[in-house]
Amino acid sequence: MTIRSNIKANQTTRMNVLTPDQCQELVYAAEEAMWRTGTNFHDEESLEILKKAGCWVEGTRARIPAHIFEQALKTCQKHIVLCNSRTGARELFVEGYNSYFGSGPCTPFTRNPFTGERHRATRQSVGWATKVLDALPNIDYAMSLGIVQDVPLLISDRHEFEQQILNTDKPIITVCVDQWGQEDCIKMAEIVAGGEEELRKNPFICLYAEPISPGVHCKEAAQKLVMGAKKGLPTIYTPCIMAGGTAPATLAGVMVQGLCESLSGLVLSQCTREGAPFIMGGVYTILDMTTTIFSYGAPELSLLLAALADVAHYLGIPMFGTCGCTDSCIIDEQAGIEAAISIAMTNMSGANLNHDIGYAEQGTTSNLDLVVICDEVLGMARKLTNGIRVDEDTLALDVIENVGPGGSFADEDHTEEYKEENYMPKLISRAAREIWEKAGGKTLTEVANEKVRDIINYHEPEPLPKDVAAKIRHIVENAVGHMPGED
Amino acid sequence: MESMHTTRSNFTRASFDVNQTIHWEMLSDDQCEEIFMTVLELLERTGVEVLNEEAREVFEKAGCWVDGTRVRIPSALAEWAARTAPSRVTLCDRNGKRAVRLETTYSYFGPGQGNFFVLDPHTGERRKPVKDDVAATAVVCDALKNIDFVLSNGYPTDVKEAAADLHVFEALLTNTTKPIVQYVHSVKQAQAILDMAVAVAGSLKELNKNPFFVYLIDADGTLVHSDETLAKVIFAAKNGVPFIYHTKLVLGDTAPATPAGALVVALADVLVGVLLSQLIRQGTPVIAGGIFTIRDEENNMLPWGAPEVSLVGTGMGNLLRYLRIPSFGFAGASDSKISDAQMGLEEAFSMLHMGLSGTNLIQGCGLLEYGLTGSLVMLVIGDEIVGMIRKIIKGIEVNEERLARGVIDAVQPGGTYLGEEHTLKYFRKEFWWPTIMSRARIKDWTEAGSKSLGQRATEKTQSILQTHQPEKLADDVLAKLREIIEKAEAAL
Amino acid sequence: MATLEDLSKAVISGNVAKAKKLTQELVDAGVAPLDVINQGLIAGMNVVGVRFKNGEMFVPEVMVAAKAMSQGIELVKPLIAETDMPSAGKVLLGTVKGDLHDIGKNLVGIMLESRGFTVIDIGIDKSPEEFVNAIKEHQPQIMGMSALLTTTMLHMKDTIELMKEEGLGHVKAIVGGAPISQDFADEVGADGYAPDAASAVDLCKSLLS
Repeated sequence: MTIRSNIKANQTTRMNVLTPDQCQELVYAAEEAMWRTGTNFHDEESLEILKKAGCWVEGTRARIPAHIFEQALKTCQKHIVLCNSRTGARELFVEGYNSYFGSGPCTPFTRNPFTGERHRATRQSVGWATKVLDALPNIDYAMSLGIVQDVPLLISDRHEFEQQILNTDKPIITVCVDQWGQEDCIKMAEIVAGGEEELRKNPFICLYAEPISPGVHCKEAAQKLVMGAKKGLPTIYTPCIMAGGTAPATLAGVMVQGLCESLSGLVLSQCTREGAPFIMGGVYTILDMTTTIFSYGAPELSLLLAALADVAHYLGIPMFGTCGCTDSCIIDEQAGIEAAISIAMTNMSGANLNHDIGYAEQGTTSNLDLVVICDEVLGMARKLTNGIRVDEDTLALDVIENVGPGGSFADEDHTEEYKEENYMPKLISRAAREIWEKAGGKTLTEVANEKVRDIINYHEPEPLPKDVAAKIRHIVENAVGHMPGED
Repeated sequence: MESMHTTRSNFTRASFDVNQTIHWEMLSDDQCEEIFMTVLELLERTGVEVLNEEAREVFEKAGCWVDGTRVRIPSALAEWAARTAPSRVTLCDRNGKRAVRLETTYSYFGPGQGNFFVLDPHTGERRKPVKDDVAATAVVCDALKNIDFVLSNGYPTDVKEAAADLHVFEALLTNTTKPIVQYVHSVKQAQAILDMAVAVAGSLKELNKNPFFVYLIDADGTLVHSDETLAKVIFAAKNGVPFIYHTKLVLGDTAPATPAGALVVALADVLVGVLLSQLIRQGTPVIAGGIFTIRDEENNMLPWGAPEVSLVGTGMGNLLRYLRIPSFGFAGASDSKISDAQMGLEEAFSMLHMGLSGTNLIQGCGLLEYGLTGSLVMLVIGDEIVGMIRKIIKGIEVNEERLARGVIDAVQPGGTYLGEEHTLKYFRKEFWWPTIMSRARIKDWTEAGSKSLGQRATEKTQSILQTHQPEKLADDVLAKLREIIEKAEAAL
Repeated sequence: MATLEDLSKAVISGNVAKAKKLTQELVDAGVAPLDVINQGLIAGMNVVGVRFKNGEMFVPEVMVAAKAMSQGIELVKPLIAETDMPSAGKVLLGTVKGDLHDIGKNLVGIMLESRGFTVIDIGIDKSPEEFVNAIKEHQPQIMGMSALLTTTMLHMKDTIELMKEEGLGHVKAIVGGAPISQDFADEVGADGYAPDAASAVDLCKSLLS
């Protein structure tokens, strides 16, 4: 018995939109844009930080020299870990080609899973959504799936965070209305973690800000980014751009625009504090030129973000992606198609932290039925990316010979062992028609909805200790809102 | 548009690698080689059951070891077969115009067959298929931009069973000019079909030069090749008609439970057909394939919407690419009983993966209810999905114009790209344009009738059936076809 | 000799240079300036509007056609008394304080201009005072506010109240943006709400009829 050498095998599927050379070209183009054109920071502190670091600042315009960007690349973390909020256990390794998935934030509306009514998101709807995310095995972290609007709007983020932290122990990406909101949410997170150091050592939250394309960093976004860097907490800075509207109409141009914006954020983060954990990413798509919507279901979204994943891997920076959403107003065949394509593509691209699962109606309305369906699709997608193992055991030459031409493999030990690996769907129906009809003849969406209700009614997330919950409540009740635009 | 170019020098650059399209792999070359070597060993060591006498003679003459019905194939011969089979097969349309290139990683999608029911496109009723349904399938395929070949989508139950192949062929032939994948139950029917095809092409030589149909021959699976099956292969080879030799395997049942093991059996199966055809007539155009699933024990059925269909299917696609043999695969089916989100997601999931794998000829689009029911509406939805997939596979073009560096600078932070000449120039070709996917806001969608994709697709299907006029065959050709069928039925 | 139809076609195809050239030719040939505008330039834009609604033409094409039309109008303007200039109405647009998003507002502006409205866009991050001052200066019949964030939409109420206080209640106020809805518009006392640019135009037309 001997062995052989020189086997290069795919342990997983492999996918690339861009070669390293093409990634390099895009990054150089973004570097050029960061220097030649620059971006606007509507925040004094940020401009000061950049100026001090050696950037060229004039008014609100900051131009970043190539060497400062390249320095930022050196100092930023390639390895970011998000943890469990109750235990601090290290759970999500946001690095390399690992792909984790979760929902999205900030939809103004949501579909009530019990009444089907489309209404503005509330504390209750965010609480329910978080519960569902907590219960689903293929969902790795939580985002709110709605802006809480049955409370004073200026402090909606504190209420949102409270609902989230009460209803899940999975990591939370928190999208705050402004820097004061983020300050409060960090305070709450520190209480849960047991202190500032503890939170920084084992962070269960990830902060989030986005520039306004093209090329504008508004005050709140810049402040949130700077605060995150100072606190040493993982911060996502991600443009949401649409080709033809806020970015060039060509896909390569979209990449350059987006990279210019998010990498400018990287520079600000590293100049604020070297080594601050930073996650690049985006929601890159097209402006639908007929309906003028920002399209969440377009195939271009999946293509652009898969390319962005290639660039992120090239740069070695963790990346935030997008999938599991639909432009459809209902969870019909279209929602199934758009979710399947985007989830499969994202998973295969190796993008690290992927959001917006459950976004329906072009991101206007969150839908928990879709979240549950996406959980199933994730299982299918992961089955594919786990690839095909080719070795002596799986090639099963001896088994084939034993069974012989025309034989059956059903009773083989080999079969007994390996059929465990078959994908077992939880929601997808494979029942014969008669059985399916007898069980009510339900659509997948109807079955998903039943699961949503079941989770909301019966699932019990890992609770927060009562005293901690009380401290959180105290912060929420004493939160002070700030009217946007006041300085 | 000088704002797009940031340099006026005539410089070039060198040593630059690009992906001209998306790059995707399930298996590496080394893994394909491992599988292929294992197959060669299997064919040499265990061999296969060959139940056709003429085939056994051909094999023995070529150097195989024959013991009764067991044939063991020397590695060199099996390798020769893989290498000799043409690495490209071009199918034409009914007029002889080159249409479909089965080579490298070009992927084409089409409907399936083997379904016992169809969904009536007008009433939605689930009923047994009749000849008019086959005709309707052809009309719809003819009209759809992204569907490139036809299959029966269900055998007609209102014709003489023993001549059903002919009726299917006639219905397809008279309602579309797109290439036809024709299943054949027997050599007799294969002959009659050939006669019909020759009637259209003018002569066998013309047909060989510009083939517009292929025979679909199902291997019997698990290393057994029956008398009738190989007789069909011999027939196709002798007449120079391209044929598909494909095997259907159930992991853990008729094949090992591991994907790698299933691929070994599948490739061994198809290589037998390939070898036979090349020995009969070197250079016979042959397309090989495998379709795979598992046994769902809980529901006691074969799920054609399962992820394993795509997992092993893409592996087979990569394997055949490695061997440079045109490939045949399966995608676009669902285990759902109705048109719902499950149908959408299973259809799209499988089509995406098989398209990425570069499998050449992909059947199965429009099969609902784990392959039991054919749906034209689902096929129309599949056409839309193909558009999305092709947009993705096309990848991203990165060059000076598309990087738009000058445009970015011209627009400046806080500006907009809406009015830019660059936007006007590129938006039409850079974007994929949906035909039935909805992007409407809730108010507009509600006012338009609150329709699901299934409803919009139904409207499109009905519209096609009402208005699309496929190119007609000349009356004398139609008469010849009728004559051939009548003659065949009389002889039954 | 150029005809008014040729001019319309130049507008429809978004050929800015040709539209200007033909406009000049027609004016020089003695065609009544108002006819040049109404039957040449605006007539072309109307066709564009219909085609856009039918999904045959798209936003960038509408924009460039509007550019052709407006540049043609600039040439004719000096020949017509201000009061005779055809205009479907004057609309003032801006994004509210604290909000820097403007693509939606820009789309509304494009659509309005393409349908013959005069649009004054005061930009982003505008306080209630800035809106009111701009209204006083430009005297539009309609003012439109845009917001993308649920926090910034709170400024809309303040702006409408300030308008009323300053005696500008006769100016119609309309609102738009992702978090906005008809309910919200009613709550803040707006005269209308539109979910997208095309319906914003219809809304303006109906408010002024």
